[in-house]
Amino acid sequence: MTVANSSSEIIYADNAATTKPDAEALALMFELQEKFFANPSSAYKLSRPLKKILQESREKIAACINAKPQEIFFTSGGTESDNWAIKSSVLESLPERPNIITSAVEHKAILNSCAAMKNLGCSVTKLPVDKFGAVNPVDLREKILPQTKIVSVMLANNEVGTIQPVKNLANVAHEHGKIFHSDAVQAVGHIPVDVDEFGVDMLSASAHKFNGTKGVGFLYVRTGLNIAPYIDGGGQEFSRRAGTENVPAVAAMALALEKNCRDMNVTAKKISACEKILLDKLKSNGVDFILNGGDNRLPGHLSLSFKDCDGETLLHRLDLKNICVSTGSACNSQQVQKSHVLQALNISEDYIYGTIRITFGKENSCYEAEIIGESLTDILRTI
Amino acid sequence: MATKNFKCIACGKSSLSKNEIGINKKLLGMKSKNFYCLECLANLLEVEPQDILDKIEDFKRDGCKLFE
Repeated sequence: MTVANSSSEIIYADNAATTKPDAEALALMFELQEKFFANPSSAYKLSRPLKKILQESREKIAACINAKPQEIFFTSGGTESDNWAIKSSVLESLPERPNIITSAVEHKAILNSCAAMKNLGCSVTKLPVDKFGAVNPVDLREKILPQTKIVSVMLANNEVGTIQPVKNLANVAHEHGKIFHSDAVQAVGHIPVDVDEFGVDMLSASAHKFNGTKGVGFLYVRTGLNIAPYIDGGGQEFSRRAGTENVPAVAAMALALEKNCRDMNVTAKKISACEKILLDKLKSNGVDFILNGGDNRLPGHLSLSFKDCDGETLLHRLDLKNICVSTGSACNSQQVQKSHVLQALNISEDYIYGTIRITFGKENSCYEAEIIGESLTDILRTI
Repeated sequence: MATKNFKCIACGKSSLSKNEIGINKKLLGMKSKNFYCLECLANLLEVEPQDILDKIEDFKRDGCKLFE
């Protein structure tokens, strides 16, 4: 049966890029924005409810990742959290030319923070990954130097969805007395995250990746770890992150995360079913493709490489059918740039350019997965 | 700007524009050797010509050099 997306309804399957804000969280944000406009740092009674909302939000978020409320620091999002973790860990010891260890498949927020520190005299070591995108803790053990200040490895990869052995990596870092940070932007709210179980010292998260809104996130910093503030100014966030708190967005983030964690198993089952339907459809239609990232991936996260075609063409052709996905390569004028993640996975040349990322979220249905599978097959027959 | 020697494979329209060649490459693949005029391309892909024009504008806005 050929299923065509003939309706004008958009099928959004790019949930790794951003998620649709949860309706209740959005309503809460608008309500708070309207009713509680005061500065939470002010001393008058108008600010009292805002202080309370901030504290309750901190408690809710901490409970979702098994942290203590005072270990949660609100930021503008994942990029700021990553910048803070990397830069503040090494800035104080710049004259000693500290070393940063990260992986070859990190998000640009980490890689470019490392590059900026390299320009200031740090050395940066990038750990390789296997064909599925996983870092081997043995490689970390071999690369740690006396001057290593921080090890930063993401919890789940944003392109291929691979979940890293963060607990083992943190153990290795701690055996050598090093700080361990994890960029968990893609994972928080989608898979169980327990900072105690993982043993991480810092962990970054971003609200819009788990059905919160854009422009807000947090950095978890383990009690006793004294890293310098990254943004200087007033005494907000226990004097460690200056700037008037965006209380409505923080409250919406806390509600969205609470709901995502509550519904995590149900959502994972649903989007795994979407994933299976799509893959089965492609296989039954005889499509030649590679599923990147191995089995230990985020649920509903598909990086698919199709032989001898352009990922960008697939993206735009799907867009014309009202289906939103993203590509693993970026077109810069007439040059197609290969993704650093796919290169690190050693995806062969005849497949690497034909890579797209399809990421299902809680709003997607199995019927939509079927439509995507059929639409992709149709497109591949004509290019 | 017209691009010489390229005809629409469906209707035979000659002197396809740089935009038409560019959007064919984007939507049919960079290795595509057959080109369609805007109307025939829209017909082939079962979309409105305006959808194709919107795509061309997006690519221009992004600075893609395949377009005028």
